[in-house]
Amino acid sequence: MRRVIDGRDLLPPEPLELTLAALDQLTEGDDLLLLLNCRPAPLFGILRRHGYFWDECAQGDGSFEITIRKGIVGEQ
Amino acid sequence: MPADLSFEQAPPISVPLRFFLSAPIFGVVAGALLSWWGADVVTSRWLGETLALTHLLVAGFMLQAMTGALFQFLPVAAGCNIARPMLVAATVHPLLAAAALLLPLGLAGGIAIALRVAAALFLFAVAIVVVATGRALLRTPAQGATVLALRLAVGGLAITVLLGTALADGLAGHRSWPLVDLTSIHVAWGLGGWALVLLAGVSYFVVPMFQLTPPYPPRFARWLPLLLLAVLLVWSLQLIVPIPQQLVLICGMALAGAFSATTLWLQQRRRRRIRDPVFWFFRLAMSCLLAAALLAAGVALLPALHDEASVAWILGVLLIPGVFVSAINGMLYKIVPFISWLHLQRLALPGTPVPNVLDLLPGSAMRAQMILHLLAMVLLLMSAVWPSIVTLAGVAFATSSAWLGVNLSRAVWRYVRARGRIGASERGR
Ligand code: HEM
Repeated sequence: MRRVIDGRDLLPPEPLELTLAALDQLTEGDDLLLLLNCRPAPLFGILRRHGYFWDECAQGDGSFEITIRKGIVGEQ
Repeated sequence: MPADLSFEQAPPISVPLRFFLSAPIFGVVAGALLSWWGADVVTSRWLGETLALTHLLVAGFMLQAMTGALFQFLPVAAGCNIARPMLVAATVHPLLAAAALLLPLGLAGGIAIALRVAAALFLFAVAIVVVATGRALLRTPAQGATVLALRLAVGGLAITVLLGTALADGLAGHRSWPLVDLTSIHVAWGLGGWALVLLAGVSYFVVPMFQLTPPYPPRFARWLPLLLLAVLLVWSLQLIVPIPQQLVLICGMALAGAFSATTLWLQQRRRRRIRDPVFWFFRLAMSCLLAAALLAAGVALLPALHDEASVAWILGVLLIPGVFVSAINGMLYKIVPFISWLHLQRLALPGTPVPNVLDLLPGSAMRAQMILHLLAMVLLLMSAVWPSIVTLAGVAFATSSAWLGVNLSRAVWRYVRARGRIGASERGR
């Protein structure tokens, strides 16, 4: 299942708050798509620390798409 | 997986916080002294007392907050960090604070030794800041207008302090510097090359992010610091050759005006009707900048106004408390709860509740202080016409600064308590 959070019109740190709340509900095999206006550097540190994986893709209009998955034990 | 050096490198939270929490103290001292000294300071920009108040704000309040912001901002905006941030902060912070108290003492009291010691401390501490941030900024692969502006701002700080040291030396030792020319160059680098360029670089980043505006037009963002640099270089030539002063001044004011007008225009086009205190503080700062640019350009065209003390007072009030104290006040309200919250998020395990930013610093507290700051600004401006009001203006400004300090300290206190709770719950798992 894919969940989408469009943070482009939200005031920081709302997108990050929503994302962290959504991560708590993310199960293996699901992914979370984030749409943001800027590269969420602080998020990456938190993701790494808690063992999530992500892909980032810069869009032509300067925005970013981040896809987050839960790490599978042993994958790292 | 992409490398994320930026946040991993972020300095410990105590690095910026010590600067942010000390800044308001200088505002309190400046406001209290203003009301103690009273109407005299309005009558001349050259009185020792006036210069002392100026530097309590520019080299105390502003320099503290802006140094902290620079340290905090490098990893986020430029992807680089200073080496040994704890050691640098622990050295620079007390030295800058002591210097920023001694310099006004020397200026107001005409105490040569205080001027000399202050100048030496500034020179030493700012050299550390410039080398530490300069190295990081020159090494970062990041390009872009923010990095460019930060580099120029750091260079501007170095030149300001070198000139300031020469001036202090001149005042202390009656050396035969051309004090008037040197002062106007020092002022231009200090307020323009350092403070305004840094504000622009930070605004490129935070205005679109925190106020949901479109980005600054890229070419404008790049050219603005470069053109300001060109104007400052020509302005500095007055030390050796005659320059068309009015024309150069008007060019500088046109650039400052263009930056403020662009920011106001971007704010107007924000994607959501945000009206939080940060938005209003920025709006106030940019309106003051536009007004100051128009007034200074007008004065350049109308020589009759040149020596009007009240015009100099209005310009000083618009620029220093109006532009920089307002913008910093707003920025601190955004940064302090934000970085506190971020550090809590990093500490907490998933699922552990963390207070949100508005729990750390409620909007009502910020709004009430903002109204007092506005009132202080109005009173300061009115003092140009009725100098006796300045006593009241000083009280308002001191109270507003103290309130800012209390609001920030309470946010930090809530952060510390939450961190303790998280530590306890983690140990309990
Ligand atoms: C850090 C940023 C600084 C800024 C933005 C700044 C700004 C200013 C301004 C606006 C004035 C002129 C006041 C007027 O024209 O009415 C001034 C004058 C002066 N500044 Fe600074 N200043 C800074 C740092 C320093 C430092 C570090 C020193 C000394 C170590 C210093 C020493 C002086 C002196 C001695 C004068 C008076 C010159 C005279 O009376 O001839 N300044 N500065």
